Amino acid sequence: MAETIAAAPPRPPLWRNVLFRRIVGQVVFAVLLVAAGRELFLNLEFNVAQRAQDLGFGFLNSQAGFPIGEGIEYSTGDPISRAFVVGLANTLRVSALGLVLATILGLFIGIARLSPNWLVRRISQMYVDVIRNTPVLIQIVFWWAAVFLAIPTIQNSLSFFGVAYLSNRGAVIPWFRLESGASTWRWFLLAAVVAAVALWRWRTRRHERTGQPHHRVRWSLGAFVAIAVSGFVLTGTPTDANIPQVLERSYEGGVRFSPEFAALLVGLVIYTAAFIAEIIRGSIQAVPKGQREAAEALGLSRWQQLRFVILPQALRIAIPAINSQYLNLMKNSSLALAIGFPDLAHVSSSIINQRGHEPQMLLLMMGTYLTISLTISVVMNILNRSVAAKGGRR
Amino acid sequence: MSPELRPPGSEEQYEFTGAVGQDAPAVEIAPEAQPQTPGEWIHRNLFSSTFNSVLTVISAAVVVWVLLQLFQFVFVSGDWSVLKANLRVYMVGRFPLDELWRVWLDLYLVMLLVGLSRGVLPRRPWTLRRAVTLAVIAAVAVGLVLYLVESGRVLALLGVAVGIELAGVAIGRIVGPRLRAPLLVAWILAFPVIVIVLRAFGGVKPELWGGFMLNVIVAVVAIFVSFPIGILLALGRRSTLPAVRTFSVGFIELIRGVPLVTLLIFGIFVLPLLLPPGLDLPNIVLAMIMFIVFSSAYTAEITRGGLQGVPDGQYEAAQALGFRYPRMMALVVLPQALRNTIPAMISHNISLFKDTSLLAALGFFSDLLSVASRATRDLEFVGQEAEALLPAGLVFWVVAYSMAKWSQRVERRVGVGER
Repeated sequence: MAETIAAAPPRPPLWRNVLFRRIVGQVVFAVLLVAAGRELFLNLEFNVAQRAQDLGFGFLNSQAGFPIGEGIEYSTGDPISRAFVVGLANTLRVSALGLVLATILGLFIGIARLSPNWLVRRISQMYVDVIRNTPVLIQIVFWWAAVFLAIPTIQNSLSFFGVAYLSNRGAVIPWFRLESGASTWRWFLLAAVVAAVALWRWRTRRHERTGQPHHRVRWSLGAFVAIAVSGFVLTGTPTDANIPQVLERSYEGGVRFSPEFAALLVGLVIYTAAFIAEIIRGSIQAVPKGQREAAEALGLSRWQQLRFVILPQALRIAIPAINSQYLNLMKNSSLALAIGFPDLAHVSSSIINQRGHEPQMLLLMMGTYLTISLTISVVMNILNRSVAAKGGRR
Repeated sequence: MSPELRPPGSEEQYEFTGAVGQDAPAVEIAPEAQPQTPGEWIHRNLFSSTFNSVLTVISAAVVVWVLLQLFQFVFVSGDWSVLKANLRVYMVGRFPLDELWRVWLDLYLVMLLVGLSRGVLPRRPWTLRRAVTLAVIAAVAVGLVLYLVESGRVLALLGVAVGIELAGVAIGRIVGPRLRAPLLVAWILAFPVIVIVLRAFGGVKPELWGGFMLNVIVAVVAIFVSFPIGILLALGRRSTLPAVRTFSVGFIELIRGVPLVTLLIFGIFVLPLLLPPGLDLPNIVLAMIMFIVFSSAYTAEITRGGLQGVPDGQYEAAQALGFRYPRMMALVVLPQALRNTIPAMISHNISLFKDTSLLAALGFFSDLLSVASRATRDLEFVGQEAEALLPAGLVFWVVAYSMAKWSQRVERRVGVGER
């Protein structure tokens, strides 16, 4: 019978071999990619040479020569790299402040969306519907051109109890002036914080062990104030309030926010808060109903239910989505370009206008934004893991 | 992550249903009262506790104050001459007057398609609420147009547009559902036709396109062109070939990690340097390319979400039928994956449409926001910034909000997440 067995089927040709095809396919893809990249780079070299420029980064050390309206210390004689850092600091300042304020506002509106009060519910829903469906840039430009530049001139500044002023030159609020002895007082402040945290933990643990009321806010705050004030007196009152004054055409003293900064911050916060509110609402609704009922059965008040049962679980669900809103807020801060707030994008485009070197500046700018994005994501992921690790749903 | 497992509200998701588990929501919106007297309703929804009463009084005061301010601004203190004088510029920018018929022709084409589609789609039942809403919207729209448009010719042309739309509805109703497939083709073909009408046969260069028309064109170009690119990138990201996957991941994450503004600056200043010398693309085309690039990355991520929602069994079944990769993807996997992405896709498209306002950040174009903020440079209109900017915001809001509402209905009809 052996004769009837068919001969082993012929080996399939090489070009039908899966492994072979995968390798060839990828090599072809890579070669095409490299060829395209090379072509683009050659074009770039040629075009840049035509403009009598180069692809190096040496220009960063040359004098910037243009003024920057606000931010950390800077003068027109500083190198371009310094101007870039000023822009970066402004981006970080507006983003950090924006993240905090947008979270607070969004949390409030998100909770209001689920209020048992019909009117409150409707108002917050209208806020979300209007704000989310209008471009953020129009909102920012509106705040800038129609609100902050339209308020009174500096001679007619709106005064708040004579210590803070608002005009189309920006807003000023009182701040602290540090004097000698301040550096010693800083250590007292640090000690006060440490003591407050330690007391908080001790009271919490004691409360958990014995069930006696913890009063941790009173304990911590008391310790903090006591240490801080005694240090303040011991070091000889190292600060005093720096109350702003209106001069002829400018403000003196205090901390000043430009109309551009105010418009960008307000626009970003109001826009992002609408998105965060929707996330909060969705997350609260995603907490199982039994949790609310259990809290109710324990006799917790509505506020206690929210504070101790619902929100801790809802925020855990919300964190990944809020992360992406934080990233959006940071990226949207680049809209400063449109209203002239000297952030990273604005300063970079000023440098391009003054000096050219477009490819290098774009590389730097995009790299920097990418780094900030990654940093926010990493921090939020750590936060996510730390709240998820306390047990619960996952 | 399947769409069901996606974190709530990721990206700019418009309607988050909140259904993570099977559990009912923890905090329920109070159900609309049915067998109640108005007094009971008010007591339950507004004055159920001291805290609630205080809240009601305060928010009612705020609402009244805001409404009064708004009313006072719109009808008394607001000076809308800036809008009346710039109406055409708001709509089409610096489009040459002699060639405006091209825009009207395009408008009529779109209105016809809109009408036909409305006629063909299943009718929504009339409720009192819907009738009142529609009547109010129509009254406000007609009132606005009559107030703003002073030229009788333009009014007549607008009237023709409405007539064409209604005729389209009638034809759609008469012909019925068998018009659906041709209509889909017509919508896809409409876009190139619209551009040809504007551009070809001695038409108008893209540099002169402007106003709201430009925002719409840029958004539509980006949405249409980025769709296939996004699908390819998503397939690339899920590919088992390391070279392809690395490239896709790198591209998508790079684009998603930087602000759109920086991409647009890249498009205007660096993209021309990368292209062969002598190829002088107009700035608006460069901007469109960057919008396409931007949208592709986001479309890719949405498609990836949809692909992950397709069970492995579907792939295996397709392979068992002897399908190779292209047919497996095109005939089995993608149709299911894309169906799941419809809501996310629509909300991405709404965002993209809003993002076209970023053209104004660059200062090279005459899109809606640019012309609105430049309108007050005219000495005659100084100080009317609010009057100039609010209508621009309103136009975006009307389009975005109605698209969002529409997508909620589509979502319900398609029944995403119910299978």
